[in-house]
Amino acid sequence: MNAPHSKPTVFIEAAVVEISWRDETRNLSELIFDSVRRAIDESGRGMMGITSVVLAAHDLVDGRSLSSMVTAPAAGAYLRDEIRYGDDGAAAFAAAVVRIEAGEADRSIVAAWGRASEHDVDGVSRALFDPFFGAPLGLEELHVSGLRAQSWIQAGGRCDARAHAVSRRRDAARNNPRALRDGGRSSRPSYPLSPDDLPVWADVVAAAIITSQPARVKVSGMGQSSEPFAIGDRQLAAMPGLVRAGELALREANIAAGDLDVVEVDGLSLFDEALALEALGIARKGDGLTAFASDRRINCSGGSAAGYCAPAMGLARIVEATLQLQGRAGAIQLPSARRALATGSSIVAAQTHTAVVLEGV
Amino acid sequence: MSAVAIVGVGQTPYRRSHKDLSSRELIWSAAKEALDDAGMGIDEIDLVVAGVAPDALAGEASVERSGMMGKGKPFVRVNTGGVTGSSTVFAGASYIKAGRAKAVLVFALERMGQATTSQQVFNTIFDPVYEKDFPLTTITMAALRASMLMRLYGYTDRHWAEIASRNYRNALRNPLAHLHLDVTPEDVLESPLLAWPIHRYEACPMSEGACAMVLVSKDRVRTRTPVWIQGYASTSDSYAMGDRIHRPGATLVDLLSLRLSAERAYKEAAVTDPRSEIRVVELYSAFSSAEAMAYPALGFCNAADGPRFVESQLTDPSLPVFNPSGGPQGANPVSATAMVRIAECALQVRGTAGDRQVDGVERAVATGQGGATQFSTVCVLGKDLVH
Repeated sequence: MNAPHSKPTVFIEAAVVEISWRDETRNLSELIFDSVRRAIDESGRGMMGITSVVLAAHDLVDGRSLSSMVTAPAAGAYLRDEIRYGDDGAAAFAAAVVRIEAGEADRSIVAAWGRASEHDVDGVSRALFDPFFGAPLGLEELHVSGLRAQSWIQAGGRCDARAHAVSRRRDAARNNPRALRDGGRSSRPSYPLSPDDLPVWADVVAAAIITSQPARVKVSGMGQSSEPFAIGDRQLAAMPGLVRAGELALREANIAAGDLDVVEVDGLSLFDEALALEALGIARKGDGLTAFASDRRINCSGGSAAGYCAPAMGLARIVEATLQLQGRAGAIQLPSARRALATGSSIVAAQTHTAVVLEGV
Repeated sequence: MSAVAIVGVGQTPYRRSHKDLSSRELIWSAAKEALDDAGMGIDEIDLVVAGVAPDALAGEASVERSGMMGKGKPFVRVNTGGVTGSSTVFAGASYIKAGRAKAVLVFALERMGQATTSQQVFNTIFDPVYEKDFPLTTITMAALRASMLMRLYGYTDRHWAEIASRNYRNALRNPLAHLHLDVTPEDVLESPLLAWPIHRYEACPMSEGACAMVLVSKDRVRTRTPVWIQGYASTSDSYAMGDRIHRPGATLVDLLSLRLSAERAYKEAAVTDPRSEIRVVELYSAFSSAEAMAYPALGFCNAADGPRFVESQLTDPSLPVFNPSGGPQGANPVSATAMVRIAECALQVRGTAGDRQVDGVERAVATGQGGATQFSTVCVLGKDLVH
């Protein structure tokens, strides 16, 4: 992906994430409306000048054949230019930024959601694989996470800090005021993953308001990439797609991984999150878990332990990074946070990647 | 901001079912044809944008992933229902306009031949509490609009039949079309009723196939023959049909979302008199009655003059030519249909549409329509670079 030659700088005015579980008082549209409405309110500018709405949602997750038909109006799409990506929320965020850079909009809503309490997460996951060569094996995305971890361990990945990494991740989620408090559920782990490594399935809605007008957080770099379709063709532990996306984003922001104050990486399991650090150049090869255990910049939101449902998670990571830069992260606020990196990965088992560098203004 | 040109078009034939081709083969076939048409290889592409609408129709989840190409290239999927194909093009164009890509491959795939019954799938697009159990389908949804048009503006069964017959006969000249039927208006009226007032021959078929295009920035056109995307716009309306029946200024059949899209796209393309400035119109109208809703929204006539406009198409050669490809009556691969409309317009502007070529096409308009007639897109294409 090329960095644009001359472009308007894009800023984030407001960012919201709500993580809940089986809220019987609100349907999906109401969950979406509440988060988007909160983001609009927090922007302090109402709907003024919002002409673009970019969404990430998946029909299989929403249990509807055309998810955005009923839900898009709840996200503010009425008589606006709306597009829905059947992709991760960070990819939708990137597309919304691109629209502003292209001069197609000055101000945009970005929203992504998934409601794990209303669908069979593992069943949907199994349906994502090739019907001839993947699905008959009963493969799920978490199995691929297990394969990735196994591949990394065999290549010499260090697991001596695993217990610390597990406890740090759990504590981070516990301290995050936006993390799931009650409910949620987990899948069965597959070797070498343990229950402590898994995501907590939850109902997640993330929303952001972005604009070409100056605000407290600006988008200073973006990168996108992908990995092959067939699992066997992929370098699972190396995540070359994330390597590429991260390089592009950091290069455009003209900073190095060491310059980052906040890192919010998207990954299904602890191992996915830790290995992402190696792909992004934040940890040395084989030291992902060690870095995760000790580096306070990394996923202080708790990452996938705070509540997880695709395809909202890339945008949720961007929201957490934004709140850090705004100084509004609450109990998990990091001191002097100025530069942040957030990533998002999509089905199938992190096949596409988006990396976004944000900067406090 | 860079201008965007279409320099490559590829389409598979559209058929009820491609039993001998996998989803990946359909995607790659259309993509290779588009790349060959552009004289480019996949390595010259910066971004791939995929368009696939309901997964349920294919029975394969995220089927676009099987067609991933270009190792390591950014790859995203768009799903906006019936307008998926055009939204996919617009998404790719945005990256070029923003300067983030010089060349984008867009493709859209439909595999609905795998669905046992598409209408059962389409029933699940509607509100699960208030509408799904009617049971509302895309056919009954369209029938409600057709009957409203008849009541408000005086359309008759004959108007719907004339439109359908014209589309079928145009499709006879399009080798890619799914249906090749020499259908007269009388044949349409004698075909079985699906849901009054819609007859079988007024409805689109279920089609499979893939469409792909190569979009490039101005500096990558080089010696290629460009078709410029002069303007494009997309608008979403309310989902609730009941809220639109009595909406002041724009009822359910006024297609406000299409009108607003047309106004924005025309403005960008500097179109001031669409009736005289546009030679070819490729409409996404899955039912012939839906075409009638598009005419006033696109500025070709007033709503009340709609029936006369249909009649005058039979006798006035100065009017724009509608659906020379046969439109969705000839083939309706849902996820791809709105992209096919743009692709067909590109071929017309370039003068390479074969037997379906219309003379003197300087400018053409393609539309997309999806959801509960709530998602609308308009794309203006032309020989000249406007900006």
